Amino acid sequence: MRRRKFLAFAGAALAAPFAQKAVAQVQNWPDKPVKLILPYAPGGGTDLIGRPWAEKLTQSFGQQFIIENRGGAGGMIGTEAAAKAAPDGYSFLLTPNATLSVLPSLRKTPYDPKSFLPVGRVGDFVTGFSMHPAVGPKTFKEMIEYAKANPGKLSYGSAGLGTATHLRIEMLKYRAGIDILHVPYRGSADALNDHLPNTVQMMNEINTIPHVKAGKLLLLNINNATRHPDFPDVPTLTECGYANSDVPIWYSLFAPAGTPTPIVAKLNAKILEIANSQEMRERMRSINTVVPAQTPEEVVAYLEEDTARNVELIKATNMKLE
Amino acid sequence: MEIAGLLANLGLGFAVAVSLQNLLWCLAGAVIGTCIGVLPGVGPVATMALLLPVTYLLPAEGALIMLAGIYYGAQYGGSTTAILVNLPGESSSVVTTLDGYQMARQGRAGPALAIAALGSFFAGCVATVAIALAAPPLTRLAQQFTPPDYFSLMTLGLVFAIVLARGSVLKAFGMVFLGMLLGLIGTDVNTGNLRYTFGISDLFDGIGFVPLAMGVFGVAEIIANLTNPERAELASSKLSGLLPTREDMRRSIAPILRGTALGGLLGILPGGGAILASFSAYTLEKKFSRTPEKFGTGMIEGVAAPESANNAAAQTSFIPMLTLGIPSNAVMAMMIGGMMIHGIVPGPQVMEQRPGLFWGMIVSMWFGNLMLIVLNLPLIGIWVRLLLVPYRLLAIAILFFCCIGVYSLNNSANEVLMIAVFGLFGYLLMKLDFEPAPLLLGFLLGPMMEVYMRRTMLLSRGDPWVFLQRPLSLCFLLLAALLLAFVVLPNVRKAREAAFHE
Amino acid sequence: MRMRSSQDIAAGLLLLAFGLAGLWIGADYPMGTAQRPGTGVLPHILSWCLVATGVLIWLKAALAGSPPLSAWAWRPAIMVTLATVAFALLVDRLGLVVSMIVSMTFTALGTPDTRWREYLMFALLMLGLGVGLFIYGLGMPIPALPTGYPWK
Repeated sequence: MRRRKFLAFAGAALAAPFAQKAVAQVQNWPDKPVKLILPYAPGGGTDLIGRPWAEKLTQSFGQQFIIENRGGAGGMIGTEAAAKAAPDGYSFLLTPNATLSVLPSLRKTPYDPKSFLPVGRVGDFVTGFSMHPAVGPKTFKEMIEYAKANPGKLSYGSAGLGTATHLRIEMLKYRAGIDILHVPYRGSADALNDHLPNTVQMMNEINTIPHVKAGKLLLLNINNATRHPDFPDVPTLTECGYANSDVPIWYSLFAPAGTPTPIVAKLNAKILEIANSQEMRERMRSINTVVPAQTPEEVVAYLEEDTARNVELIKATNMKLE
Repeated sequence: MEIAGLLANLGLGFAVAVSLQNLLWCLAGAVIGTCIGVLPGVGPVATMALLLPVTYLLPAEGALIMLAGIYYGAQYGGSTTAILVNLPGESSSVVTTLDGYQMARQGRAGPALAIAALGSFFAGCVATVAIALAAPPLTRLAQQFTPPDYFSLMTLGLVFAIVLARGSVLKAFGMVFLGMLLGLIGTDVNTGNLRYTFGISDLFDGIGFVPLAMGVFGVAEIIANLTNPERAELASSKLSGLLPTREDMRRSIAPILRGTALGGLLGILPGGGAILASFSAYTLEKKFSRTPEKFGTGMIEGVAAPESANNAAAQTSFIPMLTLGIPSNAVMAMMIGGMMIHGIVPGPQVMEQRPGLFWGMIVSMWFGNLMLIVLNLPLIGIWVRLLLVPYRLLAIAILFFCCIGVYSLNNSANEVLMIAVFGLFGYLLMKLDFEPAPLLLGFLLGPMMEVYMRRTMLLSRGDPWVFLQRPLSLCFLLLAALLLAFVVLPNVRKAREAAFHE
Repeated sequence: MRMRSSQDIAAGLLLLAFGLAGLWIGADYPMGTAQRPGTGVLPHILSWCLVATGVLIWLKAALAGSPPLSAWAWRPAIMVTLATVAFALLVDRLGLVVSMIVSMTFTALGTPDTRWREYLMFALLMLGLGVGLFIYGLGMPIPALPTGYPWK
């Protein structure tokens, strides 16, 4: 007994300087540039959200928050790099939910999605199904009727296999019992290029919104729970009769397993602060994004819910990367 | 077209662009871009990504102007190394090596560089005017292209790649096919299946263009030249003047005009037209020339046309980005990123909501081109003198820059190893009298063709006849077939004669 | 049929080899359907094209002859390859300076007419240029000197 106590003391004494160092680490964090790994090539949707956040975080902490684009393999390469990064609080993953809640169900990923520690949510896209005006249907209801009357005739462009936009159409097809051809593209810009001349009739991305405002495309609905402030007449998916049929596109910051909890908490607090600021809200709104405020624990729960829903959808529709 | 309205817009643009700060940013961008572009391997995308955070601090116009300057600068810098040391820094400079490097070996690097600069400047000016006058109609034209049209256009591009080869047509075919196959190495994006990767994770995303180009062009050339220095040695007696002669200028006029037109049109296609610009222009010149067999030995037309074409395409590739918010390539995607940092949502309203930005950018494009010419013409003297360095030392420098350039792309030493492999492979190809240019062009086009082929088949629900039903697609395929026939038939005839003689 | 060690015989065989390799390695790639062409469609087509082209070149050479292969530049090939490989292997572990020195020396060994004093001065110049431009000028995250290996 005495020996144990002695060992415990000795252990504590030896550990003390390290513990102090650890505490100091957290207090001084960040004291050198922080890497935000984006698992996609530059210029895509993730950049859209990531860069304003990087700028704001840099301003808030007085340390550089640098975006590192590591695209490839649908997001797997960057996510893997983040999983293997040193958990010292200087590398984070900034990703849409696809890499963590969709991809692992479709293929074998070199990382464990559950190993990541959520830090905070940085943005949800607010958009809905867009339709080219030349096709005919002008509202969501008309689109469903048209699709039922003409199975397989409509086509829909997504940002790629396994992305949230791909799942959105699969979810719609499943819930409404309709047949629409899914055409995968290499990113939303690529899809928009074919959507504008009506090569594909439908899309569900935020880069269509400026074109809707210019009158070139029609917005049929909003997938989110509340209507888009710029489009007060466009109904939500729930109002159209399809509750629980959304596949949210949400972006968040994750830390590799082992990152000290105080650092995660510190960053989360800052994220919440920035997210609630008027300036950030305006900026996010201009790119059709809202930022829900959640604590890390809430993010864990949301991720599990999202994953479960996606797994169910993938199983039900027998979705594969063909 | 209301001229008054156009002039008013240009006036607004000038007012924005000519502010001292914006001119400064333009210059800074052009200088940085040129320096970066000259380093083999480090391209505009990497540079822009590095400098994007710097642009947070600048006002929106300044930031975008600077980024654009970096882009043109890097384009031009890539041509410099292509001509001087046979290193194409970018896909657009591959074709410039064919005649440009030969001219350098003949002591005519100066005229080659000068014509490249002048041709690029002219093309840039014309393209700027085209954007100012006709951005919306050009956009509509581009929107006419559907996936089968893109596929057929690229097939035509592949035929161009075969036609531009100097030597045996069969060998050119072989190189194109091999290049396409090499391009397919990696992950098949549609299915996630791996192709030809042998479990090496560095290959999962395919072979990089830069290590391949550095190896097959640069390193192979070094290996060949090291024990044959008279091939590369540039005795000062051979150095004939830095400026192009009257003759050079006369011969370059038509190619520059044709190259500009062709490149300008191809650049507006968001689906990848710009890649085709330089070698389509080269092939066109070869066809128009009275001495096509001399192409590849140092014809000035073979430098003037592709250089004008790729600069025109580089400028017009801004159009889909400015009018629709659709980036044609990674560089434009970066520009969009830059816009979004400043809260500008790219799309059709940018022209109306931020006319100062829109027209300011267009006018500063012209300034950027002007600055590049002012910067680069005097530098020609320095570049050419560099070639006088004894090859045994120059080779050391070139090899080092290749290695560090490739390394810096992704901080990956493995990519440097790939240069070694491709270098040996490139040397083997040289020994067997294969040309590397069709290999690289096939490498670039192959994967893109596959994407469009699959997309066409998906949209047509499995009907292959759609390739012949779409008028544009049919046109391109017919052109490709005709061109191929022109090139192959004489060879078939020759082969039969040779066989008869046996 | 004259079978000499000629350039085009080898050229044809090279392409043939690549084509056959492509077919053999890619034999299992799924071909998909008409509407959804699979992973293996283009590789198969290209491999066959390579085989055909290789055979044609070989035939042409066998029937009509072709120039013989010129001498191989063994020394430069080996040295340049070593130089590149050395750079790749050393730059992360021992820093830019060491990897530059090793790789430049290999290149210099690749040609018989290297003058060593001249090389020394040139190498110093290159070192200065390399470190100055890439590490200080462009801020690349490459260590200049061997850092903490293995004596940290």
